[in-house]
Amino acid sequence: MSQREIHPKFAVVGHPNKGKSSIVSALAMDDTVAISDVPGTTTKSRSFPLKVDGKVLYELFDTPGFQRARQVLAWLKKHDVSADKRHEVVRAFIDVHRDDPRFNDEVELLEPIMQGAGIIYVVDASKPYGEEYEAEMEILRWTGQPSMALINHIDVHDYSDAWKRALSGYFHIIRTFNPMKHDRHTHRAILESMAQLKEEWTAQVKASIALFESYYEMLQQRSAQTIAQLMIDSLSFVARKPLKDQEDEAVQKRRLEEVYKESLRHFEHTAQRKIDAIWNHRHLEKSQEEITFDQIDLFSEESASLFGLTRKELMVTAVTTGAATGAGVDLLFAGHTMLLGGAVGALVGGVGAWLSFDRLSEIKILGKKVGVRTLEMGPMKNPNFPYIQLGRILYYTATIANLSHAMRKPIALKMDRAFKDQWLDDTTRKALEKFHKRSREGKVLSEEMRKSYEALILERLKVLVG
Amino acid sequence: MDLKSYIDLEVLLRTQPREREVRRSFGLAHASLSPEDQLQAWREKHLHTLQTPRLSDRIDHFLYGVSIILLIVALILGILTGVGLLRYNGSEPVNLIYFLAIAVLIPLVSMVLSVIAMLRANRAKNLLVHLSMAYWMERIVALWSKESADALHEVRINPLVANWIVIKRSQSIALAFSIGLFLALLGVVATQDVAFAWSTTLDLGAEDFYRFLHTLAWPWRTWFPEAVPSLSLVEQSRYFRLGGGVSDTLIAHASLLGAWWKFLAMATLFYAVLLRLLLWIVSVKGLTRALHTAMMSLDRAKQLLSDMNEPYITTHEQNEDEKKDRTEPYQPSGVHMPVTAYDMVQGWSLDEDRLRFLCDHFDIEAPVCFHVGGNNTLEADEKVIEESSGSVVLFVKAWEPPTMDAIDHIMALITKVERLVIWPIGLEEEGYVANPRSVAVWVRKLTPLINEKVWIVE
Ligand SMILES: Nc1nc2c(ncn2[C@@H]2O[C@H](COP(=O)(O)OP(=O)(O)OP(=O)(O)O)[C@@H](O)[C@H]2O)c(=O)[nH]1
Ligand SMILES: [Mg+2]
Repeated sequence: MSQREIHPKFAVVGHPNKGKSSIVSALAMDDTVAISDVPGTTTKSRSFPLKVDGKVLYELFDTPGFQRARQVLAWLKKHDVSADKRHEVVRAFIDVHRDDPRFNDEVELLEPIMQGAGIIYVVDASKPYGEEYEAEMEILRWTGQPSMALINHIDVHDYSDAWKRALSGYFHIIRTFNPMKHDRHTHRAILESMAQLKEEWTAQVKASIALFESYYEMLQQRSAQTIAQLMIDSLSFVARKPLKDQEDEAVQKRRLEEVYKESLRHFEHTAQRKIDAIWNHRHLEKSQEEITFDQIDLFSEESASLFGLTRKELMVTAVTTGAATGAGVDLLFAGHTMLLGGAVGALVGGVGAWLSFDRLSEIKILGKKVGVRTLEMGPMKNPNFPYIQLGRILYYTATIANLSHAMRKPIALKMDRAFKDQWLDDTTRKALEKFHKRSREGKVLSEEMRKSYEALILERLKVLVG
Repeated sequence: MDLKSYIDLEVLLRTQPREREVRRSFGLAHASLSPEDQLQAWREKHLHTLQTPRLSDRIDHFLYGVSIILLIVALILGILTGVGLLRYNGSEPVNLIYFLAIAVLIPLVSMVLSVIAMLRANRAKNLLVHLSMAYWMERIVALWSKESADALHEVRINPLVANWIVIKRSQSIALAFSIGLFLALLGVVATQDVAFAWSTTLDLGAEDFYRFLHTLAWPWRTWFPEAVPSLSLVEQSRYFRLGGGVSDTLIAHASLLGAWWKFLAMATLFYAVLLRLLLWIVSVKGLTRALHTAMMSLDRAKQLLSDMNEPYITTHEQNEDEKKDRTEPYQPSGVHMPVTAYDMVQGWSLDEDRLRFLCDHFDIEAPVCFHVGGNNTLEADEKVIEESSGSVVLFVKAWEPPTMDAIDHIMALITKVERLVIWPIGLEEEGYVANPRSVAVWVRKLTPLINEKVWIVE
């Protein structure tokens, strides 16, 4: 037996336009699969192997829909034999009609099944059951391959009861699956069902389940790394611009500020592209407005309170971390100033936060004396910015990570106030502030600190992605 | 781990393609190595792809050149300083306090600064490092060698590494200077006889000074007592400038005073040379460690390591399906109003009861109704086609896509009838009115067949 036949295979088959490609796209996490509301989009079978280090764990096939099921069944019945030989008749049908354009779709879809693939029969239960489906199911029965039915709901109506009654005559396993609302839990559930199709496959499909778990884990980890990188890049970024004598200082300052903001947006954009790549959502169509958040600009007042901390929260954060600084002073002086130190530190921190709510970073003029003057902006001094930036990228990542690969419509990224409560609680804020404070002070995060920052982000991400 | 391999790795990580599959198979082949060795193995494998002269060679060459110049200058400076300090003009003895200051005090102070610099080397902007002349030499040399400066700019040397390079260089320079000083001492005592004396304005008795020297000599006083001045020697070699001229006692003991040189040599050897050598070794180790840390914290290196050591999982073939978006905007192709009287009604996958109901519902009069498609046999459908003539209505389920089975039937009907009206109907819930999107699918599919004989109800 060749290696091709060792691993489990599954062919996703059914009537045209019932979401076969959508299901494959979701399960294979591939956003390049052709999906459209035009029936007959898929004309060739396409294989989607799950591979680890080159070894195939299972293989999934997207297939065209049945076009002339009655004709095929009629042919099969004409060559009727005893039930145990029926699959040979199907084989013969393929051989005879391989070059017959009338049966191109049927040959394409039967081929993987006859090579040993289990059958995943897809129906759309938002449309009524009809007798025209019987021929298809009958043909599938003739192949003698293990099979299950997947009920998809493309529209709002629900005819699943009728469907279940009809399907139960042909399939032992009937599951509901929505490729548009696909996540790791439904993924796991569907694989569990697939594992039951054939005893020999169970172990390998279970291994695939475990693999997917660690795969999701890895994707989350890579996302956290990317996010941490974005945060470090944007918080520590310094923009510089030589200032010539004849140039107007105010104008140049404004320009530098533009450059500074543009660079921060660029960092965010780059990080988003990386997140897309990590989650395999490169082809997702996002209209420009929605992705650049033009309406809710990164630097507008509105977004400051929408995604970041409110003035009050900011004060609280600053006061508590300010008090920590004060405690440091107290320790130095052996506790004599215990209360005083804390109070002063808190006050300084709080007032500082209040004052710098809408300031990013001051623009400094360097080298006044030497003659070559340079304008410099950064690193980010605004204590709120890190929360805005982190909130935005977490929102982006969570949206992308929770998005089905079957999605072809442009998605609208709209973050609401409630999102902040999902990821930012008091403990997190305090833990984060430690790192944000460091970068505000222009200090480099050590490798260990970076690791713990990353871990903190990963933990938040897990809450969001689930 | 040296600077050159660090730079090579940095360049390779930037320039090599990042194919996960290739990286993973490399990782699997080198799974038993430590992460650092994996990186090194990877670097070695790809080294040949770098164009020569390699950036690392250019930078190394430049740094080496600067270092050599600095070392030679420092050595000469050390010798000149030594000779200058020990110059004995025959009338005044050599005040050994000067020499001690240069050979012991200044090294100790600068070593303390070096240690502080080492401890704080992790900070990106280390002031102590910037104070070092080893730091400024690079800038100065870069001024006249633009090429080298460009090479330096091309690679972003981690500030930690940069700090340690400067620290190590400072130690080498100081070591060269100290060796120069030591050589000068040996040279001078070998070629002339030098009368050493000590002189200070401070109210320092001979005994105090002796105690001080005794302390200084602790590293060697037990095993090399000849190199520790005795109290009498200290007393004898005190020199009062105010007293004018060289006192007779000094001259009388001139040869005895010469014994000082052993002490000075040991002091130089220990404080200036040996301790510095120790610091130099620490700085070499520090640089190696900094390079290691820098290498492991390169983002691309971390990426490479995880690509190598994490299983490479793909859920689909990598070659991309060409993106087909076949959705075309729906364009109504003219509304065809059905007349109400027909010769026959057929329903594709719709049974006869349903057909009668539909006829009622849409006010259609027809003498006969036929169920076609569905689970009919092909023969039954053929019979219906045989009987078809005149004007025929074919109801179809708008929500089900037109399969080729249905198209076959329609094509066959066309050859038989005078007028064919294809009527996509909607769901019961929607009052049998088909939604335009579904109708559009049918229209698109049937467009090649539509003519004055074949209508479709939209
Ligand atoms: N809202 C919604 N739409 C779905 C769902 N599943 C599929 N669709 C849509 O249904 C249409 C058909 O989906 P496909 O995945 O292309 O169907 P298919 O069975 O592969 O079609 P063919 O390849 O033409 O046979 C597309 O427009 C999908 O976006 C679903 O669960 N919810
Ligand atoms: Mg398809």
